[in-house]
Amino acid sequence: MEHADLAAAATSVSLLSLFMQAGLIVKLVMIGLIGASVWTWAIVIDKYINFGKARRQFDQFEQVFWSGQSLEELYRTLAERQNTGLAAIFVAAMREWKKSFERGARSPIGLQMRIDRAMDVTMAREGEAFEARLGSLATIGSAGPFIGLFGTVVGIMTSFQAIAGSKSTNLAVVAPGIAEALLATAIGLVAAIPAVIAYNKFTADAGKLSARMEGFADEFSAILSRQIDEKLQPRQAAQ
Amino acid sequence: MRGSLGTSLVLHFLVLTAALLSLSAPAPFEVTPEESVSVDIVQSITQTQKGEEKAPKNEKPSPKPTKNQKVVENAENSGENDVDLKSPPTPAKKPVQTETAAAPPKAEPVPTPTPETNKVKDIVKEETAPKPEEVAALPIPKPEMVPTPKPEPQPEPKPQEQKTEDAPVPDAIPLPASRPKPEPPKEEAKPVEKPVEKPPEKKPETKPAEKTPDNKKVADKKQETAKSQAVKESEFNADQISAMLNKQEAAGGGAKRSTETASLGAKKTLGTGLSASEVDAVKGQIQGNWSLVAGLTGVEQVRVKIKVQLDKSGNIIGTPEVTATGGPDATRRAVESSTRRALLKSAPLKNLPVDKYDGEKGWNTLVLNFDPTEFAL
Repeated sequence: MEHADLAAAATSVSLLSLFMQAGLIVKLVMIGLIGASVWTWAIVIDKYINFGKARRQFDQFEQVFWSGQSLEELYRTLAERQNTGLAAIFVAAMREWKKSFERGARSPIGLQMRIDRAMDVTMAREGEAFEARLGSLATIGSAGPFIGLFGTVVGIMTSFQAIAGSKSTNLAVVAPGIAEALLATAIGLVAAIPAVIAYNKFTADAGKLSARMEGFADEFSAILSRQIDEKLQPRQAAQ
Repeated sequence: MRGSLGTSLVLHFLVLTAALLSLSAPAPFEVTPEESVSVDIVQSITQTQKGEEKAPKNEKPSPKPTKNQKVVENAENSGENDVDLKSPPTPAKKPVQTETAAAPPKAEPVPTPTPETNKVKDIVKEETAPKPEEVAALPIPKPEMVPTPKPEPQPEPKPQEQKTEDAPVPDAIPLPASRPKPEPPKEEAKPVEKPVEKPPEKKPETKPAEKTPDNKKVADKKQETAKSQAVKESEFNADQISAMLNKQEAAGGGAKRSTETASLGAKKTLGTGLSASEVDAVKGQIQGNWSLVAGLTGVEQVRVKIKVQLDKSGNIIGTPEVTATGGPDATRRAVESSTRRALLKSAPLKNLPVDKYDGEKGWNTLVLNFDPTEFAL
């Protein structure tokens, strides 16, 4: 460590000294890019945890749903909780079903439509939650290198101005400025590369999860429409 | 989200501090001071003009002026000789001395033959004279070899011959003195004729030494042939020999003359193309042989390009490439073929300077552009 410090002091080309030497614009660019990197990784960690949780919940719910347990009971246990994912869709559909039957709905077609709509709305809300903040990942991924490049160009520009001022083209004069300027591009790439990879991965994951939700919604809608037919026919027959 | 943002911040902080501590300044390059090496700039020259390498620079490169101003055609190498030798002229004092030492024998015998008439005996004497000239360089070592074994067995015949017959010959040259020895008993004609026959073959130098002492029979045969040949040789003209002699100085250089003062230039003219007037001269030669069919339309639009390979004497090598462009098809074809005919007719092309033959721009491949209207109309 001591050796490193000494070397940094002597040649002043270590990372920290490069950052400290840089001009205001380049410094701002670097700080901004570091912030973008922090944000990227925050999103990555958040999404990773959330998606894992969502997948586990989906599996759990599907297991319970197909276990043969009565839907009424399942609804009663779930209704009091804060639900997400498949459970939220199930609860929304069941709630609509309950409301309609409690008030004595006449038209089976109208009931079917209302249930479907309720499920669609919940699905859209859930999908939105999955895709939230993926946009900022895409932005950082595409704009990060450019911002870094901007910092580099400005840095090189100022270092050339300095060269012109000092009237020396000695490499020792030229090199630190260029190295400092290139650091901006390096930070931009460091921020952008994980962002692009994460964006691609999480959009694919979100697509998979929403496809799974859609599948469940279709199946549940089919079950409910069968139920509606079964329950409405005796009534019609009685009338 | 807050939790993950916090973890992200912590991670970045950790990574950055680790980077700052471990990724310190890279080790500076160790530059060992090196000895500077002087560099000569070597130019590859594709275009040079003949001149003098050590002379001061002048407007026009030119070799040293020559005393001999007799113009020799197609000479390339400057010098005083009449024959274009490739060796550069070298001012050598020693070789001159050696030549003068060899020269006196030449000078004495040569004058004698010319005034004499074609009598058999006289010619015999003459023939001894030319020999040494031709073989001049070689015979000298011989006497050293031959004399040692021979003097012992044949001490007596020598004086007889010399006194009776060849009295005038011995004082002229060392060579005859050694040869007569092997053939003492024979007639006068023999010793002389044999060498005359053999010099062209260059064998006599070794053979006579071996054969003569032992084989008398062979010697007799030679006597007979020698007699018959002696008659033939009477027609021999000494002037022709002197004409065949190489009087060129080996160190005299070529035969190209120069009248201008020496100025800086290269050994050889390289890569300078033909001048406009020279190209015009060549064009003129081809034009002279040109005949174009009358009544062609659009001749003025045709342009002809000739690409022909030439040897040094101006002869055409291979088939010349004649391409015409522009104008109507039929006209173009007619112009093309008439150009080819004119070109073949005018071979060999004359008045091309030999020193501009070689090189990229030289006339080893001659490219000419013609406008048929210039001369066809």
